[in-house]
Amino acid sequence: MTGFHFIYLAATLSLGLGAIARTASYLLLRYFVDDVLGQSPSISTLILIALGFLGLALIQGGFTFISGTLAARTAEGIAQRLRNYLFDHVQHLSFTYHDRTPTGELIQRSTSDIDALRRFFSDQAIGVGRILLLFVINLAAIISLNQQLALLSILVVPLIIVMSFFFFRKISTIYELYQEQEAILSTRLQENLAGVRVVKAFARQTHERDKFERENWEKFQRGKHFLTMHSLYWPISDILAGLQMLAGIGIGALMAMNGTITIGTYLAYCGMIVLIIWPMRNLGRLIVQMSTGLVSYGRVSDVIRQEREPIEIGLDAPKGGLRGEVIFKDVCFAYSESDLILEKISFHCKPGQVIALLGLTGSGKTTLVNLLPRFYEYSSGSLTLDGIELNTYSRQFLRQHIGIVEQEPFLFSRTIRENIIYGVNRKVSSEEIEDTARAAAIHESILSFPDGYDTLVGEKGVTLSGGQKQRIAIARALLKDPCILILDDSTSSVDMETEGIIRQALRRLMRGRTTFIIAHRIQSVMEADLILVLEGGEIVQRGTHEQLIAQPGIYQRIHDMQTRIEDALEEEIASANT
Amino acid sequence: MPTPEFEEEEFTTQFSGRIIARILGLAKPHWKWLVGFLLTIALTSALDSYFTFLGKQIIDQGILANDRGALVRFVVIYALLIIVQAGNVFGFIYLAGILGERIQYDLRKKSFNHLQDLSLAYYDRTPVGWIMSRVTSDSQRISELTTWGLLDVTWAIFSIGTSLLFMLVINWRMALIVLAIIPVLIVVASRFKKKILIEFRKVRKINSKITAAYNENITGVRVVKALNREEKNLHEFSGLTGEMYRAGYRAAWLSALFLPLVQIISSLAVGSVVWYGGLQVQIGSLTIGGIQAFISYITFMLWPVQDLARVYAEMQHAIASAERVFSLIDSVPDVRDRPGAIDPGSIKGDIIFKDVNFHYEPDNPVLTDFNLTVKRGETIALVGPTGGGKSTIVNLLCRFYEPKQGSIYIGNHDYMTLSLHAIQSRIGMVLQTPHLFSGTIRENIKYGRLDASDEEIDEAAKMVSAHDFIMGLEKGYDEQVGEGGILLSVGQKQLISLSRAVLADPEIFIMDEATSSVDTITESLIQKGMMELVRDRTSFIIAHRLSTIKRADRILFIDDGRIVEMGTHASLLRAKGHYYRLYTQQFRRDLEREFDPFREPSPAMT
Repeated sequence: MTGFHFIYLAATLSLGLGAIARTASYLLLRYFVDDVLGQSPSISTLILIALGFLGLALIQGGFTFISGTLAARTAEGIAQRLRNYLFDHVQHLSFTYHDRTPTGELIQRSTSDIDALRRFFSDQAIGVGRILLLFVINLAAIISLNQQLALLSILVVPLIIVMSFFFFRKISTIYELYQEQEAILSTRLQENLAGVRVVKAFARQTHERDKFERENWEKFQRGKHFLTMHSLYWPISDILAGLQMLAGIGIGALMAMNGTITIGTYLAYCGMIVLIIWPMRNLGRLIVQMSTGLVSYGRVSDVIRQEREPIEIGLDAPKGGLRGEVIFKDVCFAYSESDLILEKISFHCKPGQVIALLGLTGSGKTTLVNLLPRFYEYSSGSLTLDGIELNTYSRQFLRQHIGIVEQEPFLFSRTIRENIIYGVNRKVSSEEIEDTARAAAIHESILSFPDGYDTLVGEKGVTLSGGQKQRIAIARALLKDPCILILDDSTSSVDMETEGIIRQALRRLMRGRTTFIIAHRIQSVMEADLILVLEGGEIVQRGTHEQLIAQPGIYQRIHDMQTRIEDALEEEIASANT
Repeated sequence: MPTPEFEEEEFTTQFSGRIIARILGLAKPHWKWLVGFLLTIALTSALDSYFTFLGKQIIDQGILANDRGALVRFVVIYALLIIVQAGNVFGFIYLAGILGERIQYDLRKKSFNHLQDLSLAYYDRTPVGWIMSRVTSDSQRISELTTWGLLDVTWAIFSIGTSLLFMLVINWRMALIVLAIIPVLIVVASRFKKKILIEFRKVRKINSKITAAYNENITGVRVVKALNREEKNLHEFSGLTGEMYRAGYRAAWLSALFLPLVQIISSLAVGSVVWYGGLQVQIGSLTIGGIQAFISYITFMLWPVQDLARVYAEMQHAIASAERVFSLIDSVPDVRDRPGAIDPGSIKGDIIFKDVNFHYEPDNPVLTDFNLTVKRGETIALVGPTGGGKSTIVNLLCRFYEPKQGSIYIGNHDYMTLSLHAIQSRIGMVLQTPHLFSGTIRENIKYGRLDASDEEIDEAAKMVSAHDFIMGLEKGYDEQVGEGGILLSVGQKQLISLSRAVLADPEIFIMDEATSSVDTITESLIQKGMMELVRDRTSFIIAHRLSTIKRADRILFIDDGRIVEMGTHASLLRAKGHYYRLYTQQFRRDLEREFDPFREPSPAMT
């Protein structure tokens, strides 16, 4: 927030000056009534006084405007700075942090909490300042006119403040209940719309109407409650403030009759007392709103306090580029001490080799490959790349040279072209993009979309199938031209023909790169230089395809299955023929 | 995919008397409340103006006339009126607020009820999000216009009117000066407000872009990191926040300018009152109290003018909302009961599709001259590629859609002569992605037959072997399923929707099998449950599981809206055609999927 202190101070200051100008115009009124009207003034005096009113109005308006814009500059500026900072901060937080933080939570903090902070500065804090300044300045002016009158005018002010504070605290919980019901109602609606086939299939329209009616009616009731509260608070505070004002007016009038004060003083007083009492009724509202702003502040700073993952610190670009030799030696990984995800993993991968990892979900395959780009930090053991300990390289360098193709790749809601060049930092020509797409066997599919390469992906554009997404990710990786490749080879969601195409594209991608394959099927494993079978975070079998099919164990069983399936199928068909 | 017509459009709507009349018509059933709040608000504004007048009387007839009696009298009247005024304030907040809630309630009820009658074709072409915002935010905006908007306008008009009246009484010449300034004020103010509103809309638009950017970067954070996009993304994002800063600042700047501007215009009036009034006082036709009252009236007039401007600016928005809500309420269901539709009491019997033609979009036929006869009690498996027309056949049978040409007979009735309820209440359906409603398991099963007893529910669940897993849950049948059944697995949801279908005891059973895999034990339970349901019932199954297909009485291979192959499992395998290829492919994949190398080989394999 540094840099905004001064601007915000200036905003408050001009707020005060505006208020002073307003009070001054009442004092001018006093002068006008007491000293001018009685003295049969000349036309020029009258014009001067009229110009005086106009001038004070201009000053007041000018300062109100200045304070408004300065407050806006502070609020919008702080919000902008926070938005940028948080955006960057979140993308620099570690995988470990993201693993345990729900995305919805982060999004809420980045959007609605920041907006609450913006309102804190633009409306609430300045609003409280305005009420207090009006109070102080006008009270001071009244004191200067007549001290007794001043004391008399603020008798119920504490009462109004307390009342408004308690009322708005109460109403904010009632309002929450009301909003909750609104949320329930729209969930009900959404469910009904999503399940419209079921509703129709069972002809349950009446039942649905009744269900909706119940929630709708409840919402109406809660709205009624909310409004009843409001319709009680305002008249009651009106009576309090009104009677207080009347007391001031009445006694002021008596004093004017006695000659204790002049008629002009009385008039000025009548104007100023309005500014002391009426705004007070809103003080509670602003204070309650400010407290929610403070909660938001806490929630935002919670995220900010998280330590960033330094991506630039470390070794960069060794001489002659990377060869891609990876050696794991007793590598362990654990989130916490009690649950070890990887246990003493050791293997050697020469440049350009293909390592296949086989195992069930949760066996540690994905975590193992995620150590390479330093998404996670191994907790013990040694892991070297080209002979240098992995954690001495900078994360940025590693990530630049490691390509990843996920099982269900995440694409961004941009054009297909932008998605393909997403990972590279250089200018890429259209020809190069198309060549890459051809190599990834996705060029034809892309051309079939309405806008070709400029088709938007996602909600506002085309919905891509799993196989298409995967091939775009392959193109993305090809263009990046990494030294090490990580493939999550799952083709279960695509049909046989596409599967063949994807396999070919992958083969092109793997050529000449050290590759780690997270495998689900035997076909993709057969050609690997080293197959690692993982179970519970440990390597239980290792070797080449030939070696492993000769050993009794998991791998052999997988392999045998293929031949068994063919046998079973033949049997099936034979039985149909009889 | 949302078509352009459903994008949130900019509002070009002009004021239309018809729409406004219709909006006001919404308040008609509650006209007493409407009249009540209009009266109280009118009274409130009149009293407000009178208070200022009383202030003048206190000065002129009390202080200046040095009449204590008069002063006390005015103060007492003032005090009493404060109490009366409080009553008015209570009245208009309460009446207008509740009227607003009530109109919202009515609108939502009306739209929801109408939505239940709309046919699936409507849902196919209308995005859920569009419907949602009609029923939620648009209804709200309309109710706000009819209550708070109307209230503000009434208050403003009465305030200005009564103030002018009192000013005329005090000094008509000066009142005319003020009268000349009011239109200027209103025009400037409303022009300005409109501008401000446009700016705020811009802010909202950018804000939703920012939210989307956050959303994407946080959900895709792993890819962002893997591809080293941090710097570029931040750069792009700060472009957005920069835009936001400028738009937000501009909106705030305009808002900050608004009030001072209006104030300065009205201070012109104050200035002229002082100048002109000063002369009048000397002549003796204006009192000091009169000047004070004039200044108060003018300063105070700012607020009604501002309110008028605001309502005017917002009105367009609300009218556009109303147009959209009315368009929803007015849309006519494509599939409706024909006049004289009957409910024969049962629709058991053969089902015949005769020369049926159907298309969703005119130049893209889905079924062409489709013919099919299904005997009562037969089980039909529909197989074939996606988009071949399997679901369409089922949708037509349920009369979610009607044939464009040709007819469908159910149990000797042309089904167009039957009521929708007669057909749909006798068809049991299990969808591919089973939809559950939030609530308990019991409530979800009961959906099949609302008057079912707990025993019958247990019975139905037992019949499809869902009972055991349900009892295994902590609260059994009273376990919450979560929104859309999120707390249960896909397999469990299927078992529950099967129980639901059993409880409904339909005459025709339709199932769209799930493609996603569930664990082997649940799968076999689902198979058993399905067997229960197809027994003695005419059944259509869009089948993906080999075991289901094999058990069917007849298999239809559907492609391109035609029956390409038809027969029993054995006969189709022998034919070595489409079905043969589909079957062998599926066979390999199923076994592969079932196979778990980390366990001992499953018995099926040995």
